Amino acid sequence: MAVISPQRRRAIALLALTSIIFVTLDLQQSGSTSAVRSVFGVFFRPVEGVARVVTRPVSNAWNGITNYNDVTAENRLLREKIAQQEGASVAAAASVRLSQELLALNGLPTLAGINSVSAQVIGDSPSNFAQSVEINQGSESGIKVGMPVLNAAGLVGKVTKVFANRAVIMLITDPEYALSVKVVNTPKTTASTVADPEAALIETTTTVPITTVPVATTSKIPGFTPGSTVPTAVITAPNAAVAVPSLTIPAGSSLAVRETGVLEGRGPTRTPIVRFIDTEQRFGEIQLGSPIVSAGGSLSLAPPDIVVGTVTRVNKRLGTAGPVLEIGLVADLSNLSFVRILLYQPITEQQAP
Amino acid sequence: MSLRFLRVMASRWTRLVLVGLIFLGIQTTVLSEMRPFGVMVQLMLLIGVTAGAIYGPEVGALSGLIVGLMYDCVLTTPLGLASLVVGGVSFGAGLLPFFVRDPSWWNRAIVIALFSAIGEILFPVAQGMTGLGGWVQPRMFVVALVVAAINLLLAPIVTPLIRWTLKQTMIG
Repeated sequence: MAVISPQRRRAIALLALTSIIFVTLDLQQSGSTSAVRSVFGVFFRPVEGVARVVTRPVSNAWNGITNYNDVTAENRLLREKIAQQEGASVAAAASVRLSQELLALNGLPTLAGINSVSAQVIGDSPSNFAQSVEINQGSESGIKVGMPVLNAAGLVGKVTKVFANRAVIMLITDPEYALSVKVVNTPKTTASTVADPEAALIETTTTVPITTVPVATTSKIPGFTPGSTVPTAVITAPNAAVAVPSLTIPAGSSLAVRETGVLEGRGPTRTPIVRFIDTEQRFGEIQLGSPIVSAGGSLSLAPPDIVVGTVTRVNKRLGTAGPVLEIGLVADLSNLSFVRILLYQPITEQQAP
Repeated sequence: MSLRFLRVMASRWTRLVLVGLIFLGIQTTVLSEMRPFGVMVQLMLLIGVTAGAIYGPEVGALSGLIVGLMYDCVLTTPLGLASLVVGGVSFGAGLLPFFVRDPSWWNRAIVIALFSAIGEILFPVAQGMTGLGGWVQPRMFVVALVVAAINLLLAPIVTPLIRWTLKQTMIG
């Protein structure tokens, strides 16, 4: 093997050592690594901008070739969905408004009360082993690390790196992503009718219809003309059997049960899961399609009740481990254009003035 | 002073940084949208490995560490991680001349593809070693395979460019 010159050996050692130091500093959340990235960004952003403009026709052609059929099919489907949802959205908006009014009336926090910043997605992660996107708003718009990011459908991810005019969003599907969530389970019930045990003790005031039946009789009593009829006798008989009074319990009265768990991403090809669901009796069997919303709380980075997705599969486990839920996300992470960053920080993250 | 500045500007490493910037620009724009089989083409890895396959382990390692560090600056993984991985596999690719005397272009292309695949597997493993687990899953072999296939095709195109980039000039 050829001898490596001492000068180059020193250079290799120095660079390798620098890399190791950077890794160590970055894992310790040191600000120096952010400074390095920011300085590099100053030189790189103009180059990237030029590359974006120059390569735009190429990426457009690629998207035209590879996605044309999908886009037309999706367009048709979306038109149908819009038609279906136009009516439902009016009712939903009214419900949401009512819910927010009720929450506000009780002094409870609502999403409507949290300021937000809209941003455009300007780039995907340039790696096969990170699920992130870059947006065109940063610390100058009030964005901070950890803030939740939504699109029109629901939760998308959280802010992980912030620069002056841009920020990096870690998507829900990244294996590093974790969030405390609530599973709103509505056990399957139907309207039921039960006999009221107290009813038997109470005298009913039911009016029973009476049937009067005229009966003709022949009398041999003198003074009576044969064939004449005696005054009609009245026979009183109850009509049909009287139904036992009962109580009807409508399905709507069985309130949804909420249970908390932890949502974890698992990469782009696998759906996120929710773990640590308590297997309490009252929670019942988790129904497919049950909504998943953020749990909120003083330690959670997201406020409560942001829609995340629905349960698509329940993997039951033996013992007290509790089930693992696979989640279908409501937000389409493969096609993000605009997002909304909630300017929300939990109490534990807020710095004293 | 001016001569030293001229030497720095004309050096192969300055050229590597400039070419690396252009490649990184392509990587973060058009290639982040063009994902054959859902896999992103790894140009920065290709630069490092190609440098190693052409100029040997020491130039390969240095090139890999430099372009890896540039790549790190746009990633969300810890700074320096890609640098170590790309530097390591570029060093490995540089060992080719010690096994094959006067390697032909297709020898180099195969080595580039092989070490690209190794690099793409090592990256999630390195992430796992720093505590960023979750990426070590069967999918990484699919990713490595696709990256290797694409880099095999790109190697004959990129090789002359990297040869020119890292060519030592009289001034540099």
